[in-house]
Amino acid sequence: MLGSAAAKLGQTLLVLLIVSVASFAFLKLAPGDPVSIMLGSDFSQGAYDQLVHDLGLDRPMAVQYWHWLAAFVKGDWGTSYITSQDIFELAVMQALPVTLTLAALSLLVALVIGIPAGVLAALHRNSWVDVAATALAIGGNAFPSFYLGIILIWVFGVGLGWFPTLGFVAPWEDFWQGLWHLVLPAITLGAWYVGLIARITRSSLLEVLGQPYIQAARARGEPGWRVVWVHGMRNVLMPLVTVIGLQLGGMLRGAVMTEVVFALPGLGMMVTTAVLNREYIVVQAGIMLTGLLFVVVNLAVDQTYQFLDPRLRRRT
Amino acid sequence: MQTATIQTAAPLLEVSDFSLHRGAAAVLDRVGLTLRPGETLGLIGESGAGKSTLAMAVIGLLREPEVGLSGSLRFHGEELTGLAEARYRKLRGNRIGLIFQDATAALNPCYTVGAQIAEPLRRHLGLSKWDARERAVELMTSVGIPEPRLRLNAYPHELSGGMQQRVMIAIALACNPELLLADEPTSALDVTIQAQIMELILERVRALNSSAIFVLHDLALGAQVCDRIAVMYAGQIVEEGPSAEVLARPLHPYTRGLKSCVVELGSEDLQPIPGQVPPLNAMPEGCRFAPRCPKAQDVCRRERPAPETRDGRQVACWFID
Ligand SMILES: Nc1ncnc2c1ncn2[C@@H]1O[C@H](COP(=O)(O)OP(=O)(O)O)[C@@H](O)[C@H]1O
Ligand SMILES: [Mg+2]
Repeated sequence: MLGSAAAKLGQTLLVLLIVSVASFAFLKLAPGDPVSIMLGSDFSQGAYDQLVHDLGLDRPMAVQYWHWLAAFVKGDWGTSYITSQDIFELAVMQALPVTLTLAALSLLVALVIGIPAGVLAALHRNSWVDVAATALAIGGNAFPSFYLGIILIWVFGVGLGWFPTLGFVAPWEDFWQGLWHLVLPAITLGAWYVGLIARITRSSLLEVLGQPYIQAARARGEPGWRVVWVHGMRNVLMPLVTVIGLQLGGMLRGAVMTEVVFALPGLGMMVTTAVLNREYIVVQAGIMLTGLLFVVVNLAVDQTYQFLDPRLRRRT
Repeated sequence: MQTATIQTAAPLLEVSDFSLHRGAAAVLDRVGLTLRPGETLGLIGESGAGKSTLAMAVIGLLREPEVGLSGSLRFHGEELTGLAEARYRKLRGNRIGLIFQDATAALNPCYTVGAQIAEPLRRHLGLSKWDARERAVELMTSVGIPEPRLRLNAYPHELSGGMQQRVMIAIALACNPELLLADEPTSALDVTIQAQIMELILERVRALNSSAIFVLHDLALGAQVCDRIAVMYAGQIVEEGPSAEVLARPLHPYTRGLKSCVVELGSEDLQPIPGQVPPLNAMPEGCRFAPRCPKAQDVCRRERPAPETRDGRQVACWFID
């Protein structure tokens, strides 16, 4: 138990190291010279060398990396050349909550549709219900997010006028308005996950329902709904959590697309704008934050899994 | 056991002409059995004979549309084959209990043993959460689980195989069922505790004055622990009668083969009778045992022998001597 925890910690640190070196290298390799950008159009060689020295850019790479990492950890992420905004403020305080809210809502949508669809498909295996659920699953996966997003905007935003088509209202400032603006984006991003969740639910439930403990529950006189939802689904939770964790990368990629389509000021939008403006320092912050997010959520998934499976839970 | 009263009491379970088909294959073929209150029956046969299928059919776990049932299963005179599911649920775990072969697989790994013992108590007896817990502690004590209050919150994987089977016994007997079905209750256990667990089940069955069907593959053990013995071969009951008589004077060639195997070799791993059980989709027309029977004649291969009653025993063979 302790051994595996140590291994997990080592793995996490290694991932963080790779991500940080990659973002540092990204900044170094990016085209354009930050010093000349900072000095403007007209400067002397003396002023240039002075600034290079002041910024520590004449020191060895390892030292520069160390200083950069230290500043990053302190939240000193620099300022945007274009908006003069503090990048930590922009990324962590403004963009991150938007992306997290979008991801959480999308996951909720996917679970609320995907789990019942998967259960229905498993209980009516090879019937039209199963076929329909499988079609839904494949359809959700086949549609690229931006395509579905645009269709939803056309039909429900422009055509029917039920939902706003663009922009973001923070749900923590105006809950209902915020939710209202997130309905279409959450469906867009969630649709991709619905298929995955339905498929995993279906196959795991079919496997679980063939287990002797399910027959034992029925032999105790438990009604069908309890056999499925209490005895069966409790054992499906573990594979479900694992798969959700594994598909986190896909979720983040989908979030970028969805944010751009719906003009949501999240991390994806922030990085996309920064790339277009060649503001590499912001892109780099986005990479670091995404990497951190990935590591944290993976750890959370791991903990959840351990908590869900009594065979892995540590006795306290 | 007072044989006289048992013989006259109304049957608890009456299986007559009962067949179970999976597709075209008859997994159970015209099975007939009678179990009276307080009686214990040993269902003996090789692996694949259909013993588990019969037990599962009696408790109503084989009612999917793809499983074809015919004939009759009566419990207290009530026909079970067409019984409404809601009514059947009230029997399962309440008036009919089932002990599985492999307790490790039959306990849900995600719920505590206390929760699983309490389930039938709450469902069938309507006990409150608290009362069900108290009753679960009593049940765990009755099946010999030490420190039951502590074990109540244990997960199945935290208990040994023997303890897990004790938990299964507690669950099956929680509502004092009139009929207990025990499907090879000790064959998944360490040999050193098999006798102990068997003894425990018998003791509990006697204490509750229940009837029981023990699925076993050891004829001698069956004869030792049960009042009656039914020998199954390829989905049919070939011989049935009082244990002592069946063991002392087997009438069916298959029973004789089973007996000589136990006596001479003393091991169930070795094949008792030359040949193999025919596959379900290629069952012989006549007697299903004919291809392996040393005494088989033309009539055996042509026509299935009907069970014949002789001195309180039933035998399905053309050549009973
Ligand atoms: N779920 C099932 N699907 C198809 N065939 C089955 C199933 N369960 C059992 N059988 C078949 O039914 C026959 C009887 O099996 P079973 O009742 O388990 O025998 P026993 O308990 O006497 O060893 C075997 O041929 C087995 O292959
Ligand atoms: Mg069996």
